[in-house]
Amino acid sequence: MIYPLAHLLGGLVLLCAFSLLSQRRLAAMISIYQLEALILSAAAAWQGYAQHELSLYLTAAITLVIKAGIAPIVLRRIVHNFNLIRAVETAMPVGVSMILGVGLIGVAVLVVLPTTINSVGLTREDLAISLSVVLLGLLVMTTRRNAVSQVIGFLSTENGLVLAAIGMPGMPFVAELSVALLVLLAFMVVGVFLLRIREHFDTLDLSGIEEIERRGR
Amino acid sequence: MNHELTLPIGLPGQGMHLGVDPLSCLFLAILAPQILAVAVGEDRESVLFWVFVLGMVLAVVAADAFSLVFGFELMSAASWVLVLRGDRKPATLYAGIAMFSGACLVPALFLPAGGVAFGLILLGAGAKAGLAPLHAWLPRAHPAPPAGISALMSGGMVKVALYVIIRYGFVVMAPDVKPWWGIALIFAGGASVLIGSLRAVLETELKVVLACSTVEHVGLIATGLGIGLLAKGFGDNALAATALQGALLLAVAHGLFKPLLFLGAGAVKHATGTNSLDWLGGLIRGMPHLGGLMILGCAGMAALPLGPGFAPEFLLLHAVFGAAGTGGILGRIGFEALLAVLGLSAAMALVSGLRIVGIGFLGRPRTLRAAAAEEAGWPVLAGMALLAVLCVPVALLPGLLLAAMQPVFAELVPGAAPQPLAYAPFPLALLLAGFAAGAWWFVKIFGARGEREVPAWQGGFGKPPPWLPFGNPMTQATGTGFSEPIARAFGYTILGAKHLDPGEVYVLAPLARLHQVLTRAAERVRRATIRQRLAFVFGALVMFLLALGLAQGG
Repeated sequence: MIYPLAHLLGGLVLLCAFSLLSQRRLAAMISIYQLEALILSAAAAWQGYAQHELSLYLTAAITLVIKAGIAPIVLRRIVHNFNLIRAVETAMPVGVSMILGVGLIGVAVLVVLPTTINSVGLTREDLAISLSVVLLGLLVMTTRRNAVSQVIGFLSTENGLVLAAIGMPGMPFVAELSVALLVLLAFMVVGVFLLRIREHFDTLDLSGIEEIERRGR
Repeated sequence: MNHELTLPIGLPGQGMHLGVDPLSCLFLAILAPQILAVAVGEDRESVLFWVFVLGMVLAVVAADAFSLVFGFELMSAASWVLVLRGDRKPATLYAGIAMFSGACLVPALFLPAGGVAFGLILLGAGAKAGLAPLHAWLPRAHPAPPAGISALMSGGMVKVALYVIIRYGFVVMAPDVKPWWGIALIFAGGASVLIGSLRAVLETELKVVLACSTVEHVGLIATGLGIGLLAKGFGDNALAATALQGALLLAVAHGLFKPLLFLGAGAVKHATGTNSLDWLGGLIRGMPHLGGLMILGCAGMAALPLGPGFAPEFLLLHAVFGAAGTGGILGRIGFEALLAVLGLSAAMALVSGLRIVGIGFLGRPRTLRAAAAEEAGWPVLAGMALLAVLCVPVALLPGLLLAAMQPVFAELVPGAAPQPLAYAPFPLALLLAGFAAGAWWFVKIFGARGEREVPAWQGGFGKPPPWLPFGNPMTQATGTGFSEPIARAFGYTILGAKHLDPGEVYVLAPLARLHQVLTRAAERVRRATIRQRLAFVFGALVMFLLALGLAQGG
């Protein structure tokens, strides 16, 4: 009963991470990220119930409040306030990036299943799923040109790490890990948006282009 | 005669081992006169000069690999700074070559003896010695520093590099000798001889001519060493000894006349402000002593009979004849071709020696500065005279010298009994002197009494036009014009239409292109955006995971 549900929730997280790749609009990406964080929070709560770990409930709460609640709201507000371009600029066609994503899931399974052959039987799939989520998040970061979508990719990667951490029975410092990742997340968001760094990560110095864009609007 | 000395400095726990055996004694004897001459002539106040000397001596007396490399690299570094005093671009080229040779030598000396190690030594030391195809730097870098340093680089440093080849080919790795080692040396030497001698005829700068001639002589020495190595590998000890006699005697002779010529070239530059043969001429009137010494040096460089360069070439040709008589059909053809190359290069060397003397020192001055040249200072003359005096026994008593070098040959080719030298210049010289004295006496008794001084055949000029009563010195043949027939006969076929050195076209130019490509790639990496860098790291991660998974799964 424990593992099928855990696997189902993990699989749903993976599905969300994968569908991030296919989205062309920022609003949709933020919503899917919100959904992903929600499922992750459910998974953490379920693992907390199954492992009788209080700290996992804490993780679930943090995930629910901050990642599924505050972060998407902040992101949406930023998109709205700074009047960012709503379409996602991709560095390669969406179809190609999805094919690459399928390949990455294959790589994750190929790595995890043989290397962990001697470890606890039923967490292996969980680990494969988490690694896939991490790799897919990195793929989102590398194939998108907008800073917002890259940050969403980063957040998705971080979700994968948390998924791996909660799936391991007896993994210490899960809550601490999630808090630390949260701090990182917060700095990322603050660094990218509140300091108004740039619309793109794609060029190093965009002050001139930003100026032109501002005048154009 | 194996004296070992251990210094407490160097590698921790081991120190530096210094020792002399006949081979290193011979090379010390080659180095000593030129160091002395250069120190007398100029440069003795420079600390770097003495560091350079220390490096050379250390490389020669080293008894372990670490000391050898240390001395060699000390020599390279000091000479690089000294070249830098002359000019920046050649110094950069030279630094590249020195690093390349260091990068080849350091692993080679610590590898187990064998083909790979000797190949690396050949590359490293050969590049430093100026063996083809890595010789293109030498005619650029050797003329750049002040004359004394040029002299020592040309006469001493290339010898140290050859010493490394001899030390490892004949002594350290002696049990593992393979035939191809000798063949590689012969090929590299033959190519250097051909290119060096041809360029020595075509260049117009005096010091560049001398540097090209150094390439030729290094090639000759390497050819001799190659034949010696080959013959030793086949067990033909007499032939090996003959080839080594030629090579080492040439090293001795070249170590005397080449520094002499470089010192003289420096004095010429000092006196006239230029080294270009096209702007010199008639120097022997202004600087008679220097001119006489230069003629002596050029006689050595041109391998004239009764000069210091003749006996070694004689021995080398003997060795090539001997080698041509022993091998299979391919070997025979190859050695016949080598013979042709050596013959051609001997003729070229004659032309280039004649050109230096004839264009630079005889004839009429082409410029006012050449006409106003004054005799060089006594230190330079004293240094050159020292080398010239030492040339005399090499020129007239090579048999005695070879007998004195017998322990070296016994060390390099154990059990060799070299044939006595069939060339006896001393009686020949006595005979000639007798004839000359007789002729002089005959003219004195029966010749005409009065004296009248006129230039023979008008000095080679036509009658001067009435508006220019003293004639125009510019109507004389220039250095370029003098070498034009040879440029047409051989230059176009061997060096191509523009007389470019194959070493530059096929080695330096591709390296320059590679450098450009790599620079562009580095620039592209530097200008990559954050996303591209991220993608790169990500790709590397995925590759790693893939490799891990495949290795585990398979």
